[in-house]
Amino acid sequence: MVCGAAVAYAQVPDAPAVDFPYTGNRTAVWVVAQLHILFGAFILGAPIFAVVAEWLGHKNNDPKYDRLAKEVIKVTVILYSMTALTGGLFLFVLLGTYPDFSTWLIKHFFLVFAVIYPLLFILETVILYTYFYSWDSMKGSLKGRHIALGVLLNIVGTVTLFVIDGPTAFMNTPAKAAEGVSLVEFIQTATLWDKMSNFSWMPLNLHRLVGNVTFGGFIAGLIAAYMYMGSKTDEERSYYDWMGFVGNMIGVGALLLLPFMGYLLAYELCDYDASICPYMMADQLSMFFEMQGAMVGLIFLASNYYIWLSLKRIEGVEQIRMSGFVALAVLLMPAIMGVAWKMFPPPEWQSLIFLAAMVLVPGILGRVPGLRNFTVSAFTMIKIGFLMIVVADAIWMTPHGFVATQGLATHDLELPEWATELALMPAKNAAAFTLVFLTIVNYIMYNRAIKRGTIIWGKIDFASQFVLIFLAFSAIWTMGLMGTVRSLTRKYYHVYNLVPDFTPEAFTPTLAYSAWWITGITIVFYVVVSFAILVTLKPASSKAEAH
Amino acid sequence: MANQSFTKSVLKKTTIGIIIGVIVVVGAQQTHFPPVFQVMFFIYAMLGALVFILLDAPAMKRLEGIKAVAALLVFYVLLSGLYIAGASILPQYDPGVEAGKIEKVLKMRKARSQQGKAEELIARAKALNERAKTITQQLSSLGAGAQVEAVATSSGGGAASGDIVALGKEQWELQECYNCHKLFGSGGKKRGPKMDNIGNLMTPEQLREKILFPKTWKAEGFDKQYKKGKMPDKYRDLMFDEEIDALVAFLATLRDTSVDTPKPIKMK
Repeated sequence: MVCGAAVAYAQVPDAPAVDFPYTGNRTAVWVVAQLHILFGAFILGAPIFAVVAEWLGHKNNDPKYDRLAKEVIKVTVILYSMTALTGGLFLFVLLGTYPDFSTWLIKHFFLVFAVIYPLLFILETVILYTYFYSWDSMKGSLKGRHIALGVLLNIVGTVTLFVIDGPTAFMNTPAKAAEGVSLVEFIQTATLWDKMSNFSWMPLNLHRLVGNVTFGGFIAGLIAAYMYMGSKTDEERSYYDWMGFVGNMIGVGALLLLPFMGYLLAYELCDYDASICPYMMADQLSMFFEMQGAMVGLIFLASNYYIWLSLKRIEGVEQIRMSGFVALAVLLMPAIMGVAWKMFPPPEWQSLIFLAAMVLVPGILGRVPGLRNFTVSAFTMIKIGFLMIVVADAIWMTPHGFVATQGLATHDLELPEWATELALMPAKNAAAFTLVFLTIVNYIMYNRAIKRGTIIWGKIDFASQFVLIFLAFSAIWTMGLMGTVRSLTRKYYHVYNLVPDFTPEAFTPTLAYSAWWITGITIVFYVVVSFAILVTLKPASSKAEAH
Repeated sequence: MANQSFTKSVLKKTTIGIIIGVIVVVGAQQTHFPPVFQVMFFIYAMLGALVFILLDAPAMKRLEGIKAVAALLVFYVLLSGLYIAGASILPQYDPGVEAGKIEKVLKMRKARSQQGKAEELIARAKALNERAKTITQQLSSLGAGAQVEAVATSSGGGAASGDIVALGKEQWELQECYNCHKLFGSGGKKRGPKMDNIGNLMTPEQLREKILFPKTWKAEGFDKQYKKGKMPDKYRDLMFDEEIDALVAFLATLRDTSVDTPKPIKMK
């Protein structure tokens, strides 16, 4: 009987290869992976934001911050299950569509996938639910311990991010062996740590960590915008107006670091293998980065427009003035830093002298007697800032050639010889730094305006809510675009230079095709998050209004 | 009254935007920017005008209930359309070009992989099956003295078989050496030296050594790139011996003395 069973088992045919309907296998994996990353980014980023808010509320004895933190965690708890759901779906789709590679990767990181990551996930679940459900009971003298629980939640969340980034980064930059040793041979005997601590692991960790904070801030802004729109009383509108401001401030604050984190990640990828750089910047992905330039420019424009609208509702803002030398610094920043970074490209330190001068000299000159009267009003300063945002965006987005690949470049599609500097890194860095610098200047002015004037919460221009929604939507779309780029830098490999992808879908999709799917993913994510916000917060808000 | 004032403001700023746009376009034309860049600069001038219009726009009236929901939905549709349209009007890379290249790059690896071997066995089995069917048909329709026709077998594809230099040039394209090395006046970004005269400066054995172990040779004047290890050391894993031989054979034919290929320095 046993022999018969053995013979029968040996004759069971293998299931046919999976071919995902409509999307194909590669796009199916893309969609579930990106959705999982978006939900994951939220449940990691939102608690950072929430714990900081809770601590501020405790320190300043301001219940608004505590309410803000609790509402954000409420939404987080609902979306936690979506993260797990999309994670499970991701795994099944991956195993079904790319079974050989999936098994290979799981085996190489078995301890991570089968032990460490699940344990961390369980730990985070326990801490998150404890943190949320003990909110009302751990008040007063126990508040400090509740905040400590929140800090622990964030530590576990960060460790979880770092752990899962290991295999992810490995697929882009598998461990580089010592000189003279074949990568294939090295991988066979490499330890788990060798594989985890690869070239792009830490840069990816930093970029995602900062990106998650940005994301959390902008989603808090989204929550505030929805709730503001649905508010029936002035008190509710006042609270959600304030919440939108706080969310935007955190989001933009973290956003300022993001270009440099992204630059670091790209630098490490190029350092690992020089041929990745032209692929990203001059070949198949060059227009993807052009689109990224447009998105970053729009996000900075929108976040500064929100400051403008916020300023307009402060009584006494007309009296706020800023040193005219700061305005001059903003006007001259792209040109001066472009030259400085051309003469002394990073990591050469001499460019920091120029940078320090641009940052410090205007403030110093503004205090000199005789020069003190050279000032501009807050509104004029912001308008100058907006002019420079447009100029910086134009520099940021100027490509060397309006072609999908350098090989197709002709004279009528390329920059003229004398202007090629506009397409090089010093100009791009100068443009990025201008965007960051004037956003900081605008926030300094805003703080000055709040201290000297009277802010009227709840009376902000209604258009500001659309700005908050725009910021969240655009941030999500940009994350989708960058996730696509990171995956595509593997080219036709599952693991770059190590495990080739022999399937017919191993090519770079067009930017247009990618844009459709990124938009679809963004909308799906938006629908789920919107549903979560309305289901968790709207009933609570209505109850509060009724009382 | 407020609306009239805003309308005037819009007209004024749009006019200023157009004037600035025209000035910028004329300036770009005079300084030899191609038309596509002139269009980009004009769009930026109009974007500037739009920004300044928004800055002075009157406050938006609060929307509630169904109006707010409808406005939100329209906003999402507009944003989605904007991003898809923006991405679509940019130049698109043709995946067909890349797909052909990938097939050539991975062909040998696939053939030698488990999957490749299995696919080859299946293909051979199918071919044998067809051959058997053909013979059976011919036999059944045979009269006395007829002969079974030979069926030609395909010799397999690939570029110019037997022409190793052409295969080597193909490898130059497939491995994307042009990304770092200029040759025949195109490619390269000063990451690596120009290669037009390398055949006069290095023997085939030395060329092979450099490809497999980049740190063994340094180009004069490329100290920074050498220190940073810019030349990838992946080719001994990625390329088969036949592919390297072909590439070396191609490089050995590059003997243009009019191009300043830097002197190679042997490193320890």
